[in-house]
Amino acid sequence: MDWLKILENTVSSLVGIDAAYFALAALGLNIQFGYTGLLNFGQAAFMACGAYGIGMTAQYFDVSMWYGIPIALAFVVILSLLVGIPTLRLRADYLAIVTIATAEIVRLFVRSVRFKRFFGGSDGINSFSTQFRDLSPFDPSKQYGFRPFQYSGYTFWTLIVAWCLVGIFGFVVFYLMRSPWGRVLKAIREDEDAVRSLGKNVYSYKMQALVMGGVIGMFSGMVFALDRGSVQPDNYSRDVTFYVLTALVLGGVAKVSGSIVGPMIFWGLYVFSDNTLRELTRDGGISVFGVGLLQKSQVGPVNYMLIGIGLMLLMTFRPQGIFGNRKEMALDGR
Amino acid sequence: MQERKTFHAVLSCVKALVVLLAALFSVGASSSLVHAADSGLSIDISVFDQVVVNGTTERQPVPGVTVLVKTEAGVAVGEFVTGTGTGTVSVPVPEKAGYTVELVLSSLPSGMSLIDENKAIAVITKDAFTTSNKKVTFFTGSVGESGASAFERIAQRFADGVRLGLVIAMCSVGLSLIFGTTGLTNFAHGEMVAFGGLTMFLFNVTLGIPLLIAAPFVVAIGGLFGLAINGLVFAKLRNRGIGLVSQLVVSVGLSIMLRNIFLYQFGGRTKPFGDFSMQTAKSFGPVSMTPRDLTTAILSLIVLVAVALFLSRSRTGKAVRAVSDNPTLASSTGIDTQKIIRIVWFAGGALATLGGIFRGLDEQVGFDMGSKLIFLMFAGITLGGLGSAYGALIGGFFVGILVEMASLVVPAELKAAPALFILIVVLIVRPQGILGRKQRVG
Amino acid sequence: MVADRVYTETAQRARAALAGVQPAPGVAKPDPILLADKVKKNFGGVTAVDVDHIEVQRGSITALIGPNGAGKTTLFNLLTGFDTPDTGEWRFDGRSLAKVVAHKTASMGMVRTFQLTKSLTKMSVIENMKLGATHQVGERWWNGLFPFRWKAQEKLIEQRADQLLKRFKLDHMRNEYAGTLSGGQRKLLEMSRALMTNPRLVMLDEPMAGVNPALKQSLNEHIRGLRDDGMTVLFVEHDMDMVHDVSDWVIVMAEGRIIAEGTPEAIAANPAVIEAYLGAHQGKSLLGEETPS
Repeated sequence: MDWLKILENTVSSLVGIDAAYFALAALGLNIQFGYTGLLNFGQAAFMACGAYGIGMTAQYFDVSMWYGIPIALAFVVILSLLVGIPTLRLRADYLAIVTIATAEIVRLFVRSVRFKRFFGGSDGINSFSTQFRDLSPFDPSKQYGFRPFQYSGYTFWTLIVAWCLVGIFGFVVFYLMRSPWGRVLKAIREDEDAVRSLGKNVYSYKMQALVMGGVIGMFSGMVFALDRGSVQPDNYSRDVTFYVLTALVLGGVAKVSGSIVGPMIFWGLYVFSDNTLRELTRDGGISVFGVGLLQKSQVGPVNYMLIGIGLMLLMTFRPQGIFGNRKEMALDGR
Repeated sequence: MQERKTFHAVLSCVKALVVLLAALFSVGASSSLVHAADSGLSIDISVFDQVVVNGTTERQPVPGVTVLVKTEAGVAVGEFVTGTGTGTVSVPVPEKAGYTVELVLSSLPSGMSLIDENKAIAVITKDAFTTSNKKVTFFTGSVGESGASAFERIAQRFADGVRLGLVIAMCSVGLSLIFGTTGLTNFAHGEMVAFGGLTMFLFNVTLGIPLLIAAPFVVAIGGLFGLAINGLVFAKLRNRGIGLVSQLVVSVGLSIMLRNIFLYQFGGRTKPFGDFSMQTAKSFGPVSMTPRDLTTAILSLIVLVAVALFLSRSRTGKAVRAVSDNPTLASSTGIDTQKIIRIVWFAGGALATLGGIFRGLDEQVGFDMGSKLIFLMFAGITLGGLGSAYGALIGGFFVGILVEMASLVVPAELKAAPALFILIVVLIVRPQGILGRKQRVG
Repeated sequence: MVADRVYTETAQRARAALAGVQPAPGVAKPDPILLADKVKKNFGGVTAVDVDHIEVQRGSITALIGPNGAGKTTLFNLLTGFDTPDTGEWRFDGRSLAKVVAHKTASMGMVRTFQLTKSLTKMSVIENMKLGATHQVGERWWNGLFPFRWKAQEKLIEQRADQLLKRFKLDHMRNEYAGTLSGGQRKLLEMSRALMTNPRLVMLDEPMAGVNPALKQSLNEHIRGLRDDGMTVLFVEHDMDMVHDVSDWVIVMAEGRIIAEGTPEAIAANPAVIEAYLGAHQGKSLLGEETPS
């Protein structure tokens, strides 16, 4: 049992690339779900917009990867309009239903054989990140940092870019939410009829929140794609949205710090649980009285099961996150 | 203090649920996991022969085909042969890395060839391992062999659509009624469908009980499962006064939890039931169908008619509709709303379970069979009108037909897309659905 | 009771203007700020509202009364764009409002409150107030990031909000969550928040519901104060004492229709009104539904 290794992995995952791209996705989802109360269950599709935006442009259209950003933005807007126009006038659950469906269709679409020419089918897109690689000031063959925070040059580069983006968007969201614009969003979450009665175009504000959250989600997808150097359709399945949601609720909704700290803790816990279970099952499965409890291949499902349970418990007992504001929580009971 | 007590109560309920489910499935676990390699990672390679019969594509597994697996660097992992029955071989690999899988063309049975000759080699990238097993499938068969006329193809699709529609309708009734009576949009409803299929697999395959004998028990267990979910989770949330949006998110968590419990116990592959799995299709006019499919379709229809009659004729059924229409009004007229909610969860669970069994007969059983269906169920109940039982029947039925008919014009892999289209159009044109009612503001 | 009323100058003016008006359903007024024609709404085959003609006199306090299920709230919803009628045409200050969505009616100067108060519980009282101000520069997202573009306006809004809070005696709760207010205070907050939109017509849906008796008197004063400030008030109420106390004109609805109109004194003596109320108490069939959703 190599506890030191597990501990190292856990600590380094707190600031790892997974935490960073989750933090971006969570910041976006926070604008929608946390501040405005929009149940966007298709954040994965917005992330796919970003990943495919840069991937496609570089791979198939033979132009600079950076053109991918405006293309991805266009995807985000189209997607937002597609899910927003029919649902934003209606009860919150309709958006949930439509976004989850749309995200699934988007995934089927990009992995389809029919559109393989554009999206690479189930193999995805694999060589597009050279331009980004070339920008790196670090030597890819060298290791940077100190244990447990030790990275190859390229990973170090993406990490820095990713956390810078988290910082920038964290700042943006923080200031936007303190502006009158943010005030309207928060009011919509509480009671949209009241906001409408005061002369605000609720529909338009919801759409703005959807697009803005989607754009940040898009950058999350880009970071993820650049780090892996590949775009895989199955990385944008519906569950990704739910894991981001869990991370967000863990950190606390409607708070910028929540959407950054939440993903860090989420990945810390996940890596700890995953590593521990894998370590425990390294020499075969665990069994009690001859009944197989855990095989190596079951580690994955068990981790995800724990995420599901975590989401249920958090929503029930700590809807304001583990660092929830007591005063606000007291108001829930009224 | 009170909060702590409830916390422990709910916690123990969740634990109980996990243990219950684990116990239920543990018998089936050992057999499904023999393939587990040391790393837990594997590449599952399948070869299927596609035969087009009257417009439907049938897939038959091809055993005895040799595949070569190499690492990215070209080092051979080994040579493997697809198994009898499944046409699949699971190749354990040490790590998430790049691999190539090559199908040895000469090992194909005579007269068979790959649909796309260029695809004898499949490349797997490191990131393709999104789960611990990566699936690679080769298809053989001859293209353009279809001798069916356009009319036959349309008729066949329609017949398949009717079958799918009946199953969706059956699974959705509970979903819609749960919404109507409690306001909850239950994202874990698909898992109740999967629960049905998997429980039947447990009875039929693992325990060897004939399907027809096991069916009533499995359906009853499904009803109890629905009741348990209500009692252990959602009734508690309602009592705590937790908002509907939070309840919805809890149902998402429940869905993730259940689906992974299924995956944990059942494994990631789909498997057929023991009974009625091998049948040849017979022609009924322009349509070909196996006797099994025909029987499930007729049974589904009978069940749905029975459900409709129950709702329109019986006292309880009328009460269910009254509560679903307007819970506050109904409870003020002396209807025991809590009892109705329990009935709805039981009936919804039972119907979803039956739907899962039928779906399993049709398409094999898998841990995610429900979550693949939930989106069609939502499209169905939205079309029919959220909260309306008849709406769910009509909407689900229509969505099933639409999805199957759509594959005449859109690629089969995208045939779910028209359901999304319907969903969006309905929400723009008539958001309350065909049979739904508008609600007042203020 | 009624005889004891002290009439302020504006009250006298309002009553004088309405003095010559015949007490008949759908009667024309000398200077209507709001008028509606043939407004009809069905809910699942049941007629909730069927108003042939209605006018609200500018600068007056008009009460809209009627038994449960008379369609008062539904009429409010229709007039303010929160619901769309099956047929009908109505004008506010000369401008047609049919097909105008809810948020636009508010920015045109016609603001409403709700039967169940909609105070935004997790926002502070002052934030609630500031939300009410219309035409805020900072409410456009691209300005949100640049405080220098909206800070000045925000300051003015805050001053106005503080004045209103003082007037409604909520200033001591300024920085508390609105969720910590009592029922009556929430009604006051909702009313003062509505005033932040600078309305010409204020529509109050049951301002007295859930308000403790001690607060009722001061709420009355506040409503009179609105008229003194030149606003028109239309309110739905069950509390007949309050209706007598405050209103210049009363419109009575039953089963979706307007059955009587007149001064409070005339209405109190109107047999049709008594019949409608007594009929309701005897459990006659009532159309529409009053349960808020």
